[in-house]
Amino acid sequence: MSDDPGAGRRGARVFTPDFLTELFRNPLDPGYADAAAQRAKTGRPARPGWSVGPVSLVVVVLLGFLGAVAYRQTTAEEPGRAQARSGLVAQIQQRQSDTDAMSARADELREEVNRQREAALGGSQAAQLRNLEAGTGLGKVRGDGVVVRLVDGPSGQDSLNAGNVGPSQVIYSDLQGVANDLWGAGAEAIAINGERLTATSTIRFAGQAILVGIRPVTGPYEVSAIGPGSMRKRYEASRSALTMRKVAQDTGLSFAVRDADNLTLPAAPEPRLRYAEPAVSPSVSPSGRDGSSGSGTSPSPSGGGR
Amino acid sequence: MIAVVALLAGVGLGLWLDPTVPAALQPYLPIAVVAALDAVFGGVRAKLDRIFDDKQFVVSFISNVLVAALIVYLGDQLGVGGQLSTGVVVVLGVRIFGNVAAIRRHLFRA
Repeated sequence: MSDDPGAGRRGARVFTPDFLTELFRNPLDPGYADAAAQRAKTGRPARPGWSVGPVSLVVVVLLGFLGAVAYRQTTAEEPGRAQARSGLVAQIQQRQSDTDAMSARADELREEVNRQREAALGGSQAAQLRNLEAGTGLGKVRGDGVVVRLVDGPSGQDSLNAGNVGPSQVIYSDLQGVANDLWGAGAEAIAINGERLTATSTIRFAGQAILVGIRPVTGPYEVSAIGPGSMRKRYEASRSALTMRKVAQDTGLSFAVRDADNLTLPAAPEPRLRYAEPAVSPSVSPSGRDGSSGSGTSPSPSGGGR
Repeated sequence: MIAVVALLAGVGLGLWLDPTVPAALQPYLPIAVVAALDAVFGGVRAKLDRIFDDKQFVVSFISNVLVAALIVYLGDQLGVGGQLSTGVVVVLGVRIFGNVAAIRRHLFRA
C-alpha cells in the first residue's frame, strides 16, 4: 500500500512482508525505535541503567494489581465449578437409588399381582401361565445352569497389539455371541449381570458402555443361563466359546465357563407391548376390487407382520 | 530493581484489597492480563536494547489492554468471542515469545 507509482525512484519501492512474518521477525513495538531515534536527533539522553519514570512505575503497579485480581478471580471460580459438579453427581446417585427403590417396589407389586392371579385362576391355568412367564422372561426363575464369566484384559495392552488380535476389552458382540450360543445350546433363561434377556432384549454399545436393554453393564460380565445338564458341553463346542477362548489366549481377556447350581435369575422389566394396527387409508378395502390391479403390485401395508 | 518492588507492591495491593470484579468485566480480565504481559515484556526488552521510552511503554500498556478487551467484546457481540480471544492470545503469545527470546539473548548471550 505504500508504493506509489509516481514516486519515480525504483529503489524506494519497498515490499513489506506480510503481517505474520513481521510479527515473528520483530515482536517489539516499532514505537520504541522511533522514540530512540527521536531522542538521538534531539540529543536528549536516555535514562541510565534500570531506572524508569514514575508513570511507568504506576503502570507496573497496575500490572501487578491486575495479575493478582485475575488470579484471585480464577481461584474463586474454581470451588463453584467443583460444587456444581458434585451436586450433579449427587443428583445422579439420588435418582439412581430412587429408580432402584421403585423397581424393587414394582417387583413386589408384580409378585402380589401374580399371587392374586393364581388365587383367582387356580390349578392348571395358573401353572401354564407361570411356565409362559418363565419362558418369556417375565417371571423370576430358579434352577441349575452355567455361568460364563468375561473380564476385560489389562487396558495398557491393546495399543501394542491391536493390529492383529483386536482389543483386550469385552465388546458388545462378544456378549451377543455368548448369549446367542447359550440359547442355541438349550438355555431356557439368560441374564447378563442380573439383567434378564427376553426375546426383545438388545445388547449394544453406547459410547464406551455396553447396554443390555436400557441398563448399562460394566465388567466383569457374568452371563448366567439356566438350562438342561447337557447345555455346558454343547456350549463349550459352540462357535462363540471357541472364539472367546482364542481371544482370551491372544489378548489377556479372561473367559471362563463354570457350572452353577441353584441360580436365580430376576424377571425382566415389563415389556412395552406394541400392537399391530391397521394402516389408515390405502388399504381400506383391499379385497373389494379383485383382479384389476393384481395382488402382486398393490402396496402391502402389512409388511412387518410379526 | 525499583520496578520489581513496584510489581510486588501491585500484587500485594491486589491480594490485600481483593476487589470484586463486576460480572460484565470478568471475561476480559484474563485477556487483559495477557495483553499487559505483552507490554511489559516489550518494555523489558526495550530497556535491554537501551531504547526504552516511558511514554511508549505506558501507551502500549494501556492500548494493549483496551484493544484486547475491545476485540473480545466485539467477538462476544458477533458470536465469535471464543475464537477471537484465541486469536488474541495467539498473537500476543507470539510477541511475548519473541521478546522473551530477545531478552534471553541479552542476558545469556545465547
